Amino acid sequence: MTTLLGTRPTGSRSGRPPHGPPGGPAAWLRDLAMGARFAVTGGREGWFRTALSAIGVGIGVAVLLLACSAPTVLDAWHGREKARENLGQLHEPRASDRTVRYAQADTTFHGEPVRGRLVRPDGAHPPVPPGIKRLPGPGEMVVSPALRELLAEPGSAQLRARLDYKVVGTIGDNGLLGPRELTFVAGLDDRSAGEAYRISRFGKLFDPQPPSARLVLLTVLACVVLLMPVVVFIGTAVRFGGDRREARLAALRLVGADIPTTRRIAAGEAVVGAVLGLAAGLLFFLTGRQAVGAVTLWGVNVFPADVVPSPGLAALVAVLVPAASVLVTLFAQRSVTAEPLGVVRNRPVARRRLGWRLALPLTGLTLLLSLAWDPQAVVDDWFHVVRLALGAALLLLGVTALLPWLVEAVVARLRGGPVPWQLAVRRLQLNSGAAQRAVGGITVAVAGAIAIHMVFTTYQAGYAQAYEESARRPVIQLSGGTSDGQGTRDALATLRRAPGVTWAHGTVRASAAPAGDRGTRDPDGYRSVRTAMVTVGDCAELRRKARIGSCRDGDVFVTENRGDRATDPAFVRPGVRLNLNPPEGYEVTGPPRPWTVPDSARRVQGIRHPGEDLPGDVLATPGALSPARLQDPTMELVVGYDKAREAEAVERIRTVAFRVNPGLRELSAIDNPHDRQYDGVRTALFLGAVIVLLLIGAGLIVSTVEQLRERRRLLSVLDAFGTRRATVGWSLLWQTAIPVALGLALAVTAGIGLGTVLLTLSGAEVHLDGAVIAGIAGSAAGVVLLVTLLSLPPLWRMMRPDGLRTE
Amino acid sequence: MTPDGSILAGEGLYKTYGHTSALDGADFSVHPGEVVAVMGPSGSGKSTLLHCLAGIVRPDSGSVRYDGRELTTLPDAERSALRRTDFGFVFQFGQLVPELTCLENVALPLRLNGTKRKAAEATAREWLARLEVDDIHGKRPGEVSGGQGQRVAVARALAGRPRVLFADEPTGALDSLNGERVLTLLTDAARDTRAAVVLVTHEPRVAAYSDREITVRDGRVRESLAGL
Repeated sequence: MTTLLGTRPTGSRSGRPPHGPPGGPAAWLRDLAMGARFAVTGGREGWFRTALSAIGVGIGVAVLLLACSAPTVLDAWHGREKARENLGQLHEPRASDRTVRYAQADTTFHGEPVRGRLVRPDGAHPPVPPGIKRLPGPGEMVVSPALRELLAEPGSAQLRARLDYKVVGTIGDNGLLGPRELTFVAGLDDRSAGEAYRISRFGKLFDPQPPSARLVLLTVLACVVLLMPVVVFIGTAVRFGGDRREARLAALRLVGADIPTTRRIAAGEAVVGAVLGLAAGLLFFLTGRQAVGAVTLWGVNVFPADVVPSPGLAALVAVLVPAASVLVTLFAQRSVTAEPLGVVRNRPVARRRLGWRLALPLTGLTLLLSLAWDPQAVVDDWFHVVRLALGAALLLLGVTALLPWLVEAVVARLRGGPVPWQLAVRRLQLNSGAAQRAVGGITVAVAGAIAIHMVFTTYQAGYAQAYEESARRPVIQLSGGTSDGQGTRDALATLRRAPGVTWAHGTVRASAAPAGDRGTRDPDGYRSVRTAMVTVGDCAELRRKARIGSCRDGDVFVTENRGDRATDPAFVRPGVRLNLNPPEGYEVTGPPRPWTVPDSARRVQGIRHPGEDLPGDVLATPGALSPARLQDPTMELVVGYDKAREAEAVERIRTVAFRVNPGLRELSAIDNPHDRQYDGVRTALFLGAVIVLLLIGAGLIVSTVEQLRERRRLLSVLDAFGTRRATVGWSLLWQTAIPVALGLALAVTAGIGLGTVLLTLSGAEVHLDGAVIAGIAGSAAGVVLLVTLLSLPPLWRMMRPDGLRTE
Repeated sequence: MTPDGSILAGEGLYKTYGHTSALDGADFSVHPGEVVAVMGPSGSGKSTLLHCLAGIVRPDSGSVRYDGRELTTLPDAERSALRRTDFGFVFQFGQLVPELTCLENVALPLRLNGTKRKAAEATAREWLARLEVDDIHGKRPGEVSGGQGQRVAVARALAGRPRVLFADEPTGALDSLNGERVLTLLTDAARDTRAAVVLVTHEPRVAAYSDREITVRDGRVRESLAGL
């Protein structure tokens, strides 16, 4: 007998008819194969549906593959950084043929950090950092391609003046963290000799500090929040074209397929969409990662080649996506029975139950709140990290589970209104499943984005408070090594001549320990000792540091209020003996340098200038203490400027400072890195939310168009009796807008709730960024409009009289 | 009104779909209160004739005059408005909005025409009673039988007091008993309201309810017979 499922014997040997279609793995395979065939043999329309599923799943898979690449990206990034730096060297090697003098010369240009390193080989075989063939000589530099481009730009005159070296080469990719990194390696000259130290190899000796609780919190949350909408979206995408599939299953029932068979066939069809989606996802990922090089986020820019999914995680995606597609399809089939004469939707007569839907977010909330007693535990214990992730995930999942109940409960209470409203409300009352599924993704994404945003806003508020004061003052604070007081005076004289500079002050400072105190050594061999800060400057400079009254060269002062310094060096008083070569660090070089604070030293009140360093514990004029006697003295320069006089004042000061000493570090917050970082996060979150909204929008368009096609005849009838197109258009808008509005309301509530819980458990004050919430809500409204607008052309097409033709 | 007293008249109507000719110079007219049955085999062009006469489809050439106005040159919006105000429609199946109750379905054309909801639903209730389906007013189309649904469709078509009622195979999906009941109610109600009825059918049994029969064959109106 030939059946739908192939040829099988008409009866048993005894002549009895068979009991039913064959079961077991063979039947499974045969039905799955048949479903797979349906996915690709449905003509143009069938291909369109399969392609839509594949594209939808593919977008989700591409995002998952990107997430799977995070560990390898970070490894590669840290590996590159580790290979080219020399931090953590405990002992300075002796000069040899194989050593190099090395110094940092970082600078900033229009807010962009430029990493600079200075090198001077001690011999013919110095170590060379990766990406560089030979070390540049004095007056030479090698640059990254991005810096080469920046230097060539017309607006980079100040940078060209600053990096006044001859470019003799380009740093190769293996010497860069990312293709957009601005970095250079230049020959070390005498200006930075005081900053330099000797190294014998490149390659960091230790790994970075373990992440802070905040970072772990944010990373875990970001992963959960960003990936959940993707998973929800994949769940939606595998059901694209579901109504048509169900109609076909009904036809199969008519020719003898039983219900388990139809479910297996549906699963087979879903697997094809998922597998094609995996292929599409790989393609999207490979194409999309080429753009990664152009993106800099949180100061991180990576090479596309470094974006490689972790094999284990990628394999998990390859297995889980098809498996999930089958599960989602089978789950969807639970509420649908394909009967020979059509599809019967087993609509629940009873209302959706609230109990378990509430249980999910409440369990999540409980898990999160249980961490409140010790947020730092998140860092120390993976169990707590899992608890955090699970708590956030359950809370967000709960939001998705609550949405259908909310939509049903609210829509059931809606009455009256104009015709388009009535049509939309009635439609939602009858079947709002597709809209709810799509909107569920929006809800998770928006709730997550709001929560992350709240956490960032709060952390940023803390940074902003710290930077606000100094950022408001037009002052640049610089610090760098010096050998004597003359260098500081020369630097000040040069800076005062720079255009836009209104004033400049500077002192030399160093540490001092109580004489005879050898301190203590920790198990790693690091020696610590109590220290005080000694500041040397002429009377004019010291007057800026403290209320010293009369002063002449040779005077010494001891400050009484030392600001908010945590360890108040109470040992500093007139007459005390100090050691100007404090025994600190892994290695103590040179003998003690005793110096006595004169008995005549006057106690004075220190002045703390906002945004500047503390005045120091001992203030001495050069006549009393020569800067040359200090161990590792640094010059501390403070430069005031006026942008009204010179728009490029900041860049000019940086250029002058660099030319004085490339090793001078800028300590002030002209370009608050946290601001830029926050802006980056804000932009990224916003973009992420908008991309997810657009993805969901694409899903909504597909389900709307599918619904329209299903109702083609009805639309033609509506057109026949004169229904305005606008009426049906508005009803489409309401039909999308009502679930989206409810989803957003739920998302904002859940997002603020999640954010508040997270901030509370990290002991921070809660800050809300209304603009961002409004922006995300506005984007969602935009997506609703976009979905409606894009659904209108097919709507107009389907309102044509063709649908009335029955022949 | 046209010079011959007809309320609606089509003349020399041509319409092709791709390479297939649906109407090939068809002529037609109907007078107020007259029930005209448009007969013919499947694919003969009956429905296309109805669509052209109702202003749903614009013919490739020819003229359709309704109440002295040329329909073929009217913009789409005006033709839609005319269909809302002056015409009523009954189709074979799939015409009721599944989400709306039967009452709301009947009130729909009135509401689209600007009538307030309560007034529209009051009128709809009257028509449901007249078509003997008042008891199902709160049910959705999916919850009623085919015959009841078709009566609701007739009530909807007549609720706006149309001057011309177009019915395309209105009983095609019904058994003979239900079909006859629907046709009786439809033609009686139309005659009461002096509405002209264009009744497309391929069943002589249905055509028997008309005042006049015409037959469409190969896109042309071949003959015209007096009604029974």
